[in-house]
Formats: sequence, structure tokens, C-alpha cells
Amino acid sequence: MTVSETATTEPSTTGDDVLVDVRGVKVHFPIKKGVIFDKVVGYVYAVDGVDLQIRRGETYGLVGESGCGKSTLGRAILNLETPTEGSVVFDGEDIASLSGERLRRKRKDIQMVFQDPMGSLDPRQSVESLLIEGMKAHGLAKDERSAAKRLRELLSAVGLPAAALKKYPHEFSGGQRQRIGIARALSVDPKLIVADEPVSALDVSVQAQVINLLEDLQEEFGLTYLVVAHDLAVVRHISDRIGVMYLGALVEEAEADDLYAQPLHPYTRALMSAVPVPDPLVEDRRERILLKGDLPSPANPPKGCRFHTRCPWRQETRCDTERPQLRVVEVAGAPESHRVACHWAEQIESGEIQAHEVTATLTEQTASGGEDDFVGPASVTEAL
Amino acid sequence: MTETIENVQTQANRNEALLSVRDLRVTFQRHGEKPFVAVDGVSFDVRPGETVGLVGESGCGKSVTSLAIMGLLPRRGVKVEGEVDFQGTDLLRQSDDQMRDRRGRDLGMIFQDPLSSLNPVVPIGVQVTEVLERHRGMSRKAATPVAREMLDKVGIPDPERRLKDYPHQLSGGMRQRALIAMALACQPRVLIADEPTTALDVTIQAQILALLKDLVEDTGTALVMITHDLGVVAGLCDRVNVLYGGKIVERGDRHPLFASPRHPYTVGLLGSIPRLDGTRGERLTPIPGSVSDNLPWDSACAFAPRCPNAIEVCREARPELLDDGGGRWLRCHNPVENPLEVTR
Amino acid sequence: MTPNPLKTQADRRKERIDDLAATAGGSPSGTVTGAGEIEESPGVSLIASAWRRLRRNPVFLVGAGITLAFVVLAIIAPWIAPHDPTQGLLLDKVRQQSNPIPGSEPGFPLGADNRGRDLLSRLLVGAQQTLIVGVGATVIGLVGGLTLGTLAGAFGGWVDSFIMRIVDVMLSIPSLLLAMSLAAVAARPSQMTVILAIAIVEIPIFARLLRGSMLAVRSSDHVLAARALGVKQSAVVFRHIIPNSLAPVIVQATIVLATAIIDAAALSFLGLGNPDDRKPEWGQMLGASQEFLGDHPHLAFYPAACIIIVALGFTLMGESLREALDPKSRR
Repeated sequence: MTVSETATTEPSTTGDDVLVDVRGVKVHFPIKKGVIFDKVVGYVYAVDGVDLQIRRGETYGLVGESGCGKSTLGRAILNLETPTEGSVVFDGEDIASLSGERLRRKRKDIQMVFQDPMGSLDPRQSVESLLIEGMKAHGLAKDERSAAKRLRELLSAVGLPAAALKKYPHEFSGGQRQRIGIARALSVDPKLIVADEPVSALDVSVQAQVINLLEDLQEEFGLTYLVVAHDLAVVRHISDRIGVMYLGALVEEAEADDLYAQPLHPYTRALMSAVPVPDPLVEDRRERILLKGDLPSPANPPKGCRFHTRCPWRQETRCDTERPQLRVVEVAGAPESHRVACHWAEQIESGEIQAHEVTATLTEQTASGGEDDFVGPASVTEAL
Repeated sequence: MTETIENVQTQANRNEALLSVRDLRVTFQRHGEKPFVAVDGVSFDVRPGETVGLVGESGCGKSVTSLAIMGLLPRRGVKVEGEVDFQGTDLLRQSDDQMRDRRGRDLGMIFQDPLSSLNPVVPIGVQVTEVLERHRGMSRKAATPVAREMLDKVGIPDPERRLKDYPHQLSGGMRQRALIAMALACQPRVLIADEPTTALDVTIQAQILALLKDLVEDTGTALVMITHDLGVVAGLCDRVNVLYGGKIVERGDRHPLFASPRHPYTVGLLGSIPRLDGTRGERLTPIPGSVSDNLPWDSACAFAPRCPNAIEVCREARPELLDDGGGRWLRCHNPVENPLEVTR
Repeated sequence: MTPNPLKTQADRRKERIDDLAATAGGSPSGTVTGAGEIEESPGVSLIASAWRRLRRNPVFLVGAGITLAFVVLAIIAPWIAPHDPTQGLLLDKVRQQSNPIPGSEPGFPLGADNRGRDLLSRLLVGAQQTLIVGVGATVIGLVGGLTLGTLAGAFGGWVDSFIMRIVDVMLSIPSLLLAMSLAAVAARPSQMTVILAIAIVEIPIFARLLRGSMLAVRSSDHVLAARALGVKQSAVVFRHIIPNSLAPVIVQATIVLATAIIDAAALSFLGLGNPDDRKPEWGQMLGASQEFLGDHPHLAFYPAACIIIVALGFTLMGESLREALDPKSRR
């Protein structure tokens, strides 16, 4: 990557202008146990060392399966989950080190769109109060007249009539609620929107409405997106660049088209071959790389390459001892922007190394299995 | 009878159909509320070794259909009409006890959420052997090796040890395998899978779908696949029924259906999902509105308010499910003629 | 969930309270109105829609009717009572040997007690005292419970562990036994000691309920959304977390009103109540009727019936309130 360490603060129009620079971010959740008082007995390595840059105006897609830490990383970038280590430089300022009032002020610039459109709207608030809350918190609702005008603009931007203002979340359909959630994110005029599974809770026919809306809004307001999703087809559709995550780390990063044309990491290959395509001709022809076994527990990740326990191309050397870093690979047709965390990416691509059988190993499910169990702080004060 | 033409057509191949659903109608009647018709005259056949898909979005009646076939709907507050013919017996006329006997033995079912479908306080092995004890009259001792074999067959590694595991000790994919093992323990002739992979990750989904596919090919089980995912259908189902608002709106064999969908709803669904192999940057064509905009079926086409092809008659008369002459069944006044122009 | 026989009653009680708390956290499955177009009508808030459902619920109407009648009677009792409840007006009719309890006669429809005081007047005025005890105990319990619950829920960490362990210990003692011990400790039993004893028993229930509810709400997406929006911390707690956590507490408070009245009656019955019988109270009347139970069961019957009816009223109201506020039951 040819990105300078510190991003410039002045807005510029060049494509390589980095808005968010994530360096070595780790988020480890303590596992607590205890009869009377809790003791830390271990950690869940939800995010374990991620570097990524998001350029101004682009859409960066973060894809991976449940438990890979993609949602936690998304929240760490907003400092809704304070990173255990590492920095998140946004527009020249390290968000990971901010707290209190300075962090609160900074929140204006980075907003979030949630997966569950109902759960993310306070059921007691009318749409008007939902939308105006953020504006008030950042002093954007100076006088009533301009605020009312702004509310109507927001609603029309997301395709809802002004009549929606007086209504409550439970009076809308799923797609409309997601539009309200998007309008709320827009209300404070952010630069970056982190969308965590923005369409996966919606019906298929409604998903496309929301995807199109996100694309339109990006163009209209010059937004930068970080889209976190498990659906590779959705991510590929809306993203300019894609990072593939596995067990807390990026395993491959590339331009969306390059990634599809030439997936280089064994996990990306397997993931891509598993995504069903609504076309029987494609489905009948394609060869699936079926992964054996389960995702290892993030509380006890494998040594070396995180994927080696399930990798059909695993080698005797390096794979189980040495953790591969993202690197530019020397493969014909792979541009510099295409980075892979695999020791043997070149040899696998050239066919020098062939896939072999994998004996499936099962993961013992600890009581603290899923990623979802760990989002959210342990108390309100910690949260604020 | 609303679907007379269809009845005539299916009379012919009734002999070979293992399970045939005729004019199934499920009405929910809650105290003090308007009755709600969840499934409205659904008919389809499943033959041995065949996979039939029921596709649709939430609220289209696909899951209620499966529960009605299995006799799992509560008797109070739910009216089930029509006929579900399984080898000459109408399953809807069976008593609760008789159905309890058939479930697991003749009809297997796999649910979306494997964790809540398994008993959390009983080891996996015991849950599988219980099915064998109940339906095949085996002793616990005789059933255990069979249970181990079943777990092995569905691809659970180290089955000997897993027999003693509790559901919470297994991952989601392994739980779904255990559930499939239970459903298959008595070699049912018909297997109904209700969104079996929706709760799973895509790499695990691929494993489970491959397992189901092998199973149908090897044992001749008839599979009814209920899903919202057209991609899953495209890879697995021989015949596809697209449901909307409790009715089948389009039916066809998988290749012609995906190659030239004709109902505007099917076309709309295909246009709404981004394809992994599609051209990037191309805009999706969503279906406007949501299911709450539906018109009542009795006097109109329910889909008319959301339909780009709607004409006047769509709001005035109910369309019937008719054969277009080439094995495609359509419930539409104004079907799409050249679907390629509409999709991509 | 299958009941586990190994679980202690205290455990199950804890679970019930936690279950109740969980009803606050779930996301309601909304009623979908016109989707493509949105009606030009004012929105219906959660409270308004809960009220709409309540108004049509016969269970609630019965419960609310009983409660309302009770409260009104309690307030106006001193004015409508036919006689002074403390005066032994029929004392001359009391025959120690043959007939210690005067029967009914003109002006005294229910007769009098062993000291010749009009029973009807005592019942009416007793309603007032019963209401004071019930409401007093509930309010004090609620305030104490909310304070502890908020502290535990808001600070977390060792504060939470500390408060919750105390609460667990208190919950593990049967409530009546705890109330009895507290009442017995008081040097001079009075109405206040009864109220306090019952209130202290209710504190851990409210505390646990609110804390559980706050935990559920705190980790909900809409609270995260408010934080992500940059809403001030105090506003997040007071505008989002607490209001959304209160529903199960309100429901519980209604039900606690009933149990407080019953507990007060039990304390009085056991002789731990207010010894001053110039202020009649149903439980105390019930207690005093013990020695005449064989020959004059009506002395016990009237106050007992009053207690049962009022407790039923509060319980019906609480249960229907729970149903109305439960997001899962919304259609």
C-alpha cells in the first residue's frame, strides 16, 4: 500500500485520500467467572490485529462469517467498543484514544446503521424525536423552523413522506424502519457511515430498495461507507474494496472485481464457492470447495495461520507455526492493491500445491461461543 | 374448487406422487379478530427422489404449509382444509396420535433453528435412539450403534464421543446435522426442510446442502425444501413453487423457471438480489412497497399494487393458476413475455 | 423451559423476576400499517396502544373497577361510615358468657365486635388503614428497590456484584419470615413498623427486577444507536435506558400492592401488627377474630373477604398490565 502513515486533515479530491486509518486494532473481551466476584479467566480474541484504510468517498466492504469479528471491528472503529490495542485515525485524529466529551463530539462524523431496524429504534420515541435527538446533541437544531425543514429533507432523502414524523417505529414495515435508521444516521451530517448487516434482516424484495438507497445517498451526500456483512454477493455489489475476515483478522483485501475474478486466499476461495447463485446453470457447473469442521473458538484461536485447521491447502511447514501477514503477492494479474495473508498463495494459484482432504475437527462450544455475547460493555458507565 | 384444471392435471401422475397436497387452506382465527388466511389453496406433488422447493418471503405461507402437512399446527384457532395425500391416506384426517406415529417414521422434518428444536438437557445420542426406540421398536442397546451410524452418515466427526454430547456443546452446523440425523433415523419417505440453512454460515450451508442432495440421490427420499433463498433453490430443487400471499403464483422446473421467469413477482425477486457473478455497479431493480400493500386475493391479484406489469384487470379479478402449455404454471393476468429484458 | 426439581424456591423466584425483566428487552413485532403510503394520522405511541388494548380487556376492567372502588371507599370512609368505629355503641349488648358478639340490628347491619363497636364502620375505616399500609409499603419498597437497582445497573462491576449478593441473600429468606423478624425486632410495634417490614421485603424484588431490565435494555441496539449518535451519557441513561426498563417494575408494583396488603394482614394476624386498635385495619380485625372463630365466623369472614377481593383487584390489574406492556403480545 502506498498510503502515508498520517492521513491529511484537509479534504482533498484524490482517490487515495485516506479517511480512516486502522492500525493494529485488537479487541479482546475478558471471559469472567466467579461465585461472588467475577474473575477474568481468559479472553475472546474477537479482533486480533487488523490494519485497514478506508478512502474518502469509497465503500469498503468487510465480509466474513459469524464469529469472525467483523461487527466488533465495525464498532471498534466507532469506539463503541474501545480497542484493547491499536489506533483508529479518523481525519487525522485517533478515535481509539478519545473518551468523554471529545469522543461524543467526534461521533457526529461517524454514524452507524444497524442490522435490526426495530431493535435499533427506541420504541418510545416518535420518528421526529428519533431524528432530532442527534441534531440537538450536536447543536444542529438551532431554531425550530430550520430543524423542521431539515427533518423533512431527511425523510424525503430516504423516501419517506413527512407524515411519518408523528409516527412510532412499531407502525412501520421493516424496510421503512431501516429507512428511518438511515435517516437518523444522516441527521448529524456524518462523513463515514458504518453499516452493520444493513439488509440481512429484511425481506429479499426490500433488500434491493435499501441497497439502492444507500448507493443514492452516497452519491448525493458524498458519504464514505464501511459495510459489514456476511453476504458476499451483497458486499461485492456495493463495495469498491473488500476485506475478508476470518477469526479476528483480515485474510485478503482487494478491489471488489479483483477479489471476485481471482480470489487468492484459500478461505476466500471456499467462501466464494459456497455462495449460492440463483442460476441453475451456474450451480450445476461450479465446483464447491467444501470446508470441513467448524470455525475454531475465538477464545482459543489456532496457532500460526488461523485457517490452517480447515485449510485444504495446508502445508507441513509454516502454516501451523507462523502467522501470515497481509502481503502483496507475486501472481500474474494481481495488482498491488490485492493483498493476501497466506504463506503459499503463489504456489496455490500456480497449481504447485494441490488441495487435499481435511479431517474435520470439532470445536468445543464454550459457554461464550458467539461474537454477539461480547458486544456491549459490562456496565452503563463503562459504556459512556 | 378453485383449481379445477390443476386437479385434472395432477390426477394423471398421482400414482407416482409420494405426497400430494391438494387445495390446502389454512385459516387462523384468533378470538375477536378477523380470520387470516395464511395458506390459500396450495397444491403440489412430490415424487420419490425429487426435491420440490417452496420459495417466498416472510408471510407467504411457506412455513405454515409445512406445519400443516406435518400436523403440527394447533387445533384451536386454526382451520386446516384440503387434502394431504400420503400413500393413500389423507394426513389431515388423521388423529393426533396417528400423526405422532407418522412423524419421524414416514415424515421427517428439519427446522430452521437447530438449537431450539433439540432438547437441551438430553444428550444427542439419546435423542436419536429415542426416535428409533419409538418408531422401530428397537431396544436402547440395539439402537445405539444405529444412532452412531446415523451421526457418521451426516458427517459428524467422532460420532462415538458425540453421542454423549449435549446440544449446547455442538456448533450450529453440527446441531443441524444432528437434527438431520434424527429426522433420517427411521428413513422417512418424505423429508420437509424448513429454512434448514438460514441460521447457518454460508460455508456450513454449503456442507448441509451437499448432504441433503446426496441423501435424496442415494435414498430416494422425497424432499420438500422451504426457503427464501433463490440461490439455494437453484442448486437443489427439481421443481420450484413460488409463493406470494399464501398462494402459488408460479411453478416450473428449475432450469426453465430461472432461465425465463414469467410471473412479475418471480422476475422481481430475481432482480432484487445481487448476484455474486453479476456485473458490478449495475443497479438492482427492487420490488416497490412491501407485503402489507397486498390486495385481497378474492377480488384481485394480491401482488397488483407492487407489480410493474399490473393492468386494470389485475385489480378487478382474481387470477387462477394455469398451465401455459409448456409445463409452466402461472397465476397472472399479464405475465412477463420477455423476462431477459426485465432482469438483466 | 423444563422446571428443574433441584432448583430451590428462591432460585425459581429469582428466575421469575428475571423473566419478567426480560420482557422489557425484546423487540416488539410491529403492527404494519400502510407501507407504500403512510396514513396522514397522528402516530400511536407505545403507551397509547397499550392503553387501547387495556381498555378492551375485561380482566383489566374488573381489576381496575375493584381497585377504584377500594380507593374511593378508603378515602371517603370517615364520612360515610354510619358510626364512630372506635366507640363501643353496642357494648351493652355484649354478654361475656352467653353472647360476646352482638348480632345485626337496625342501624348496625353487620352487628358489632366483642367490644360493641360497629363492624361495618370498622370495615370501611379499615379500608383506609389497609390502603395506607399497602401503598406505603409499596412506595417505600419501590423507591429503595429502584435506587439499588439503578446503582447496580448503572455502575456495574463490584458495586453491582455487592448489591446483587445482598439482594440474593434477602431473596433467599422467605418473605413473610423476613417481614416477621423485622417486625419483631421493632421495640414498639406500630403501623410504621408494619409498613417498613413489608417495604424492606419488597426492596430486593424491585432492585433485581430493575437491574435485570436495565441490563437487557442497555445492551439493546437502540441504546447503542443513541450512544453512536453522540447523545450525552446522562440523557442515554435517563431518556433511553430507564424509561424502557420500567414496564416490568410498574407491573410488579401493582402486584406488590396486593401482596403487601396480604402480608400486613398476616403480620397483624400473628400479633406483630399495630396494637392500637383504635385505628382498625383488616388484618388486625382478622387477628382479633381468632378467639371467636368457632361460634362467630362472620367476624373473620368480612375482613378476609375484603382482603381477598382487593388483592384480587390489584392482581388482575397487574396481570393485564403486564400483558398490555409485553412487547411480545403486541399485535
